[in-house]
Amino acid sequence: MAYRGGDGHGQPPSAALSRVSPGSLSTCRTHTHNICMVSDFFYPNMGGVESHIYQLSQCLIERGHKVIIVTHAYGNRKGIRYLTNGLKVYYLPLKVMYNQSTATTLFHSLPLLRYIFVRERVTIIHSHSSFSAMAHDALFHAKTMGLQTVFTDHSLFGFADVSSVLTNKLLTVSLCDTNHIICVSYTSKENTVLRAALNPEIVSVIPNAVDPTDFTPDPFRRHDSIITIVVVSRLVYRKGTDLLSGIIPELCQKYPDLNFIIGGEGPKRIILEEVRERYQLHDRVRLLGALEHKDVRNVLVQGHIFLNTSLTEAFCMAIVEAASCGLQVVSTRVGGIPEVLPENLIILCEPSVKSLCEGLEKAISQLKSGALLAPEDIHNIVKTFYTWRNVAERTEKVYERVAEEAVLPMDKRLDRLISHCGPVTGCIFALLAVFNFLFLVLLRWMTPDSIIDVAIDATGPKSAWTHQHSYSRKGSNNNEMSKTR
Amino acid sequence: MEDEQSFSDICGGRLALQRRYYSPSCREFCLSCPRLSLRSLTAVTCTVWLAAYGLFTLYENSMILSAAIFITLLGLLGYLHFVKIDQETLLIIDSLGIQMTSSYASGKESTTFIEMGKVKDVVINEAIYMQKVIYYLCILLKDPLEPHGISQVVPVFQSAKPRLDCLIEVYRSCQEILAHQKATSTSP
Repeated sequence: MAYRGGDGHGQPPSAALSRVSPGSLSTCRTHTHNICMVSDFFYPNMGGVESHIYQLSQCLIERGHKVIIVTHAYGNRKGIRYLTNGLKVYYLPLKVMYNQSTATTLFHSLPLLRYIFVRERVTIIHSHSSFSAMAHDALFHAKTMGLQTVFTDHSLFGFADVSSVLTNKLLTVSLCDTNHIICVSYTSKENTVLRAALNPEIVSVIPNAVDPTDFTPDPFRRHDSIITIVVVSRLVYRKGTDLLSGIIPELCQKYPDLNFIIGGEGPKRIILEEVRERYQLHDRVRLLGALEHKDVRNVLVQGHIFLNTSLTEAFCMAIVEAASCGLQVVSTRVGGIPEVLPENLIILCEPSVKSLCEGLEKAISQLKSGALLAPEDIHNIVKTFYTWRNVAERTEKVYERVAEEAVLPMDKRLDRLISHCGPVTGCIFALLAVFNFLFLVLLRWMTPDSIIDVAIDATGPKSAWTHQHSYSRKGSNNNEMSKTR
Repeated sequence: MEDEQSFSDICGGRLALQRRYYSPSCREFCLSCPRLSLRSLTAVTCTVWLAAYGLFTLYENSMILSAAIFITLLGLLGYLHFVKIDQETLLIIDSLGIQMTSSYASGKESTTFIEMGKVKDVVINEAIYMQKVIYYLCILLKDPLEPHGISQVVPVFQSAKPRLDCLIEVYRSCQEILAHQKATSTSP
């Protein structure tokens, strides 16, 4: 049959099947923004950045904005998909180089990204994560096209080793002409401002959030005859697994009624297994291995105390999730952690075995004397702290501010690059910016903006699809399911 | 009844959409591209021959010139016979099925027929095509094993690639006929 026969370019039609309603084609609404989130990291990959983008987009759609997400293809998942509330996701067929991050040449993604920005009538580009090459590419192209740009940094970096020096230089180049930058904690803001040599006034702090309905306490799941300490983290150096291996034997000797539950996987798991073997703690230390996000709550509610041994952390989601489940949190005082919870909910220690043991002993004695708050009370306090609606509200303010600013014209941008990033790097990237602009002119000549179809707006309650009958909606859901099988 | 409207394709080229309404239950849509222009034909031929002449002055072998002539002729024949599609027709008949015909520039025609029992729906979909994101019309086929599933997606107007406004016209007419067909098949 003719199916895909004449196509022949190795790019099958996307799976999302859209219907066109008789509604008008216009997507322009006043006082709302058309936002494009760009990052290499999005579902089906799992992690903090992914859920941040998804939840933020959903809350922005709820507030009446139009949001689309652009990411790279994950295996068979390429083309265009729709998620809840008509959130449109473009999975672009770009080559993945390392650790789910795409390769960058600064130019090859311009034709597709430009086409998407034009057809979706995007006004603000919001890139996420400094590890994502695609996010930086999109910032670069957006500035060439004269669109407003916002960048969210999700991680902390060092200053000393060669790789950080190089990434910091690239970050300087990428952020020096970005309109606004968002960090997840004040520590992260300080770090980013220093790394990228930025003006602190264009950096805002908006913390992450958790969905409190996902993390509810359940006191009947834990045994009150014994004390259980829960650790949920990847077992890697950054998360302080070495400290954990020192703490376990010491505390197990002191308290015969103490158990550990450790969730997570990583290269340092072998150390914990060694400790368990050497001190014969098989019945008291349970290693659960990798956990799915939905199972985390079920592990957390089995414990009384949550232990976090991270050595560096921009904003620790894990301790908020644990506190939301009603656990007493004991954590190291590193990065942005002291900002996250008020003092009565967290015991902070120095990142050393001795200090962490003292902190844990304090928590255990409080628990035994009944001085700790009830899980339900802790949950009720924590659930008001970090909500996605609040994050969306604050992000919206950033968009309002950015929308009123002027985008740097080409000559000023080149000046900024040369004056801000040092003579050599500055000149190289200024030259690349000029090439990028010439490439854009060529693309505009080959396919003018006027012959690019405006995409049908599918987001939110006012979208083109809500006028459809319930029958057809059901039908298209079925289509989606059968294609993703 | 017959009318003709002019649209453009995704690259900005001109397309003509002819609609023939034979009866309320039978419609035909015909998309025709402009014919092979003499200018582009001349341009391609000239380039090939100039390149061949360049090689000839370099190697002084007259085989190159005759080879160039053969290549141009065969290339043109192949292009007209297998690549260049002048006209694509979608004929939809309630209670019978959908027929898609593409006529090549040489006069060759290839026809696909889908009976109505297999058609689940006609929809407009989005896809990433080369360095573009385009809309296209496609026919969804029912999965014989599973009543709500889809076994295949058949794209329509694959070579013409009209823009969205044209697709919406065709889509609406197709939906009218499909709705009519559903109404008649459910009522005894």
